[in-house]
Amino acid sequence: MEVNPLAVILVYFDSKGDRLLFRYPTHTHQLGEELTLTSNKKKRNPFAVHTDDHDDQTPNISAAKSQGGQLQGFSDDVLSTLFAVKPQLCNQKFELKLNDVRFVSHPTLIPHKEQRPSNAGTSAPSTTSNASSTSPANAVANVAKKQQMLINIVFALHAKASFSIVKCYHELSKRLGVALKFEEQRSGYLTEETSQMARTHDEQQPVERTFELIAERCSLAQALKSIYHDLCTTGLLSTTLNQNLTLSFCLPQKAHQLHKKGSMVDPETIDRCLRSLKPYHGMLLLVDFAELLDCVPPTGARMLLQLVEVYTPLMSLQSMASDADLGIDHVYKLVSHLVYWAKATIIYPLCETNVYVIAPDAPLHTKSHLVEKFSMRFAGMSLFEVISDFSLPTSIGHLTTPLQQPARQGILAQMVLWMLQHHLLMQLHTYVQFMPSDDADEFSDAATAAAQPPGSNYVLGSCGNLTEDDDDPLHGGSMLSMSSQPLPVPHIHRRSIQEDHFSVGDGSLASDNIAVQPSSSHKSNFSMTASLSTDNCDEASIDSMDEQKINELLQIFDDADRAAIRRIPASLNIDDLSLMVKLYQMGYFKSEHHLEEIMYFENLRRSQLLQLLDKFRDVLIIYETEDPAIASMYNNK
Amino acid sequence: MHSHANEGANGIGSSVGGSTEGKIRCIFLSEFHATAGCKISCQVPDNYISKEVFDAINVYIIPKQHLQRCILTVNTMDVKIVGYPVDIQDQQKYARNAFLFNLCFVCDSRARSVQYEPVVKKLSEYLIMMEEESCFLSREDDKVRLQNIFETVLRDLNERKVATIVEGDNTIYLKIVMHKPDPPSVKDHMVPLLLVNFRNKPLENWDLTTQQILPYINGINHVARIAAEADVETDLVKSCIQNLVYYGVVQLLPILKYSNVYMTQNLKHLIQSTALSNACRKYVALNPDKTLPSVQKIFQFYASMTHGVTLRAICQRLCPQNHNIDERKLVIFGLQHKFIRCIHKYPVFTGSVPSCRQKMYTGLISFDEICCKTGLSPYTIEKDIEKDTNVTVIWK
Repeated sequence: MEVNPLAVILVYFDSKGDRLLFRYPTHTHQLGEELTLTSNKKKRNPFAVHTDDHDDQTPNISAAKSQGGQLQGFSDDVLSTLFAVKPQLCNQKFELKLNDVRFVSHPTLIPHKEQRPSNAGTSAPSTTSNASSTSPANAVANVAKKQQMLINIVFALHAKASFSIVKCYHELSKRLGVALKFEEQRSGYLTEETSQMARTHDEQQPVERTFELIAERCSLAQALKSIYHDLCTTGLLSTTLNQNLTLSFCLPQKAHQLHKKGSMVDPETIDRCLRSLKPYHGMLLLVDFAELLDCVPPTGARMLLQLVEVYTPLMSLQSMASDADLGIDHVYKLVSHLVYWAKATIIYPLCETNVYVIAPDAPLHTKSHLVEKFSMRFAGMSLFEVISDFSLPTSIGHLTTPLQQPARQGILAQMVLWMLQHHLLMQLHTYVQFMPSDDADEFSDAATAAAQPPGSNYVLGSCGNLTEDDDDPLHGGSMLSMSSQPLPVPHIHRRSIQEDHFSVGDGSLASDNIAVQPSSSHKSNFSMTASLSTDNCDEASIDSMDEQKINELLQIFDDADRAAIRRIPASLNIDDLSLMVKLYQMGYFKSEHHLEEIMYFENLRRSQLLQLLDKFRDVLIIYETEDPAIASMYNNK
Repeated sequence: MHSHANEGANGIGSSVGGSTEGKIRCIFLSEFHATAGCKISCQVPDNYISKEVFDAINVYIIPKQHLQRCILTVNTMDVKIVGYPVDIQDQQKYARNAFLFNLCFVCDSRARSVQYEPVVKKLSEYLIMMEEESCFLSREDDKVRLQNIFETVLRDLNERKVATIVEGDNTIYLKIVMHKPDPPSVKDHMVPLLLVNFRNKPLENWDLTTQQILPYINGINHVARIAAEADVETDLVKSCIQNLVYYGVVQLLPILKYSNVYMTQNLKHLIQSTALSNACRKYVALNPDKTLPSVQKIFQFYASMTHGVTLRAICQRLCPQNHNIDERKLVIFGLQHKFIRCIHKYPVFTGSVPSCRQKMYTGLISFDEICCKTGLSPYTIEKDIEKDTNVTVIWK
């Protein structure tokens, strides 16, 4: 796993020289096996006396300095000199790649606390037996009083780790640096911990034992150890330094794998998704309530509690905000935080008319652990049976009938939520694109017009026709002859399902359609429409006021588009036309906004909008697809 | 796996890089001078790495003994420097018994630099050889020649990814090879499509296997059929195609059937980019001499694609041929540019003990693959599944 760290290293540097104080895991030979390394260095004797030019002036320390424990072929003192960076490089990102290992850190300069910590003396007795090591250690503390020390918490990663992973680890190192700086200034924590570690090093233990001892004695080492483990298991960490400062951090590339194995969600993807957050969006929690509070410091928990109290996947963020008495901006922030921490995901609030379909990357196979998980959660139900209903885009409203007991719909909603939580389902939305047909201008030849069945522009409305067409053997046969398919495939008759809201729309449109029908079904599309509209003009004797207004409204279109719109009978109705023009001007007909969004921002009812779209269907193309913002969180193949 | 990579594929394949691929900004040679210590002795362009930056990082340019001869990349202070520190031990020749130097490439700090590592190493090896033969680097006066080499390398590698330099008796050959993730394994039912820029390449430039199968790669034939028609063993065809996929010469598409179901995604890109929509109009035209199909018709065709609507049904409704649209090319173009994706059918066995063919119904093997593996017609399998109450079909 390229996300996991290989090791965490703590390097310390001050006027007395540099030293690798702690690293975890302590048993690096395991690491060595993990990696195939091309280092040409020999293992050095761990007990050999080493003369480091930094330590020459303090022979006691250098003689006692045990070395030779290696991280992927590099001895501790090599690593230590590498990461005791020059002051110019401090307080910024530092990245070093050596063969197959990438080291990331944020070296931090920390001034020593002015007064010597009062408890430094109390920790000293533990090492008084070793007189030779305590005296230089104390001396270090004395001399270093007014100097700065450099602390560098380095994460060793696989060289393959992507830019965004490296960025996250850098951020973590930076935060640790800031936290340690704060604790040093508050209580001299760092001085105390580092000298404790240095003393342990001076005890002349074998190197592995030294690090174990440090991990037992020093709370900073324990913190680093738990950070390493959290990063390897969940990617979520919450560590308290010096029993005072809580550091929360999330490695999204790792954390999002908890809900979906093998997926790699970059923070950039999450940001993109969150930037398109709208008040009509909803939130779906992925974890239990208890787990939610892990990700916020206790001080921030109040607002989260307020939000979670009113939380339901059925409500939009807007209504949750007003119920929880929070500003929408606060709700956005909270939701963004939860999404980043893989505690929640963004959905469109669950309702009967939402259309769902199986996600293209849904891990659905017989060996999947989800199968068992599902039948545990919903006793006696089979995941495959339930989800196969969503092989075609389907809404909850469609899967339930009034004849069933109402509890069934509740269970179904629960199952849909479960499947959304596990990224098995994806919602489809309807988008609109303004696009008048160009060949209408060219007085399109009869063949074209004849070949076009009625209402061909209106994709969804004509689903009914489709099913009939498909059975027609005349058309079917001729199309099959080409292609290198293994062998011909029989027709598929599985598209009887039509979304709830569309059938509603169609029903209410029936009366309006009568007037429109002849024009589009007639052989010569253009002439008929033209004559129809002129007829209408005469009969209705539209006064010049209206005509002028229509012209004004159509000003924004270019000539070709204007002509196309004028051919539509509905363009004579001022109300319809002005609504259409308004939506067009607002940019809703550019495939960027789905119907739900238009409804929300323009305060329209679904039936209203669908009627309008149907009236202007000759210049609009309507199609279904996924919301790109939310879909980016799915791994599209 | 890439052993039979042909020359053409190699050269152009490397140009298909990620967005983070960055140019080489600077090349410099740093050495440990007997009296002056670490310094940059030759740099192109001059002064790209300032004195301050170099002083801060020189520990990583001329490092301690233990890190000699390993690729060392340091990324800080907004530069990324790829180096290969070298020391040449020779007690007679050098004042300090050794000559330490490092040839470094500099990139932007956000750029990828993995692809330069072998080049840096190779160029360093050349320099080591030249130093050992003629003290090419350590002679004080001769930096102009080195400067010229660096200038050529920088220009040629950035422009053509290949550089050849003749210096005295030595000829230096350098080439940037992009690292790409392994291509997915090729299966019988997949359809390879040759990308446009390779269409007009003379056949004799390809390797033998490719020469044999290339005439059958047309975006319609699937792998098993190509193998049969070209009379080449299937496994050989597969590995050849996998290799071509790696170098970005071909793209794998799902097999085109009129019973296929497609789904749109990011369709708006087609309209938003005029260049793309024009390319599409040209590509999908049935007869290129007639008026090109309109964007509106093309968009309408794509927009009709949704779950539950087969390609056949759309063709019957929209009659693409009347609008000078070749629906097969339209599908290929859509798949290629990811406006549409094919919705595959996966049978899943939900009973307890699967028998023979049911063992394939795991939910991982698509319908097309099952047809190819069993050699049965889709119709037979369809009927078989319909009868079997223990099998559920999932579309995704």
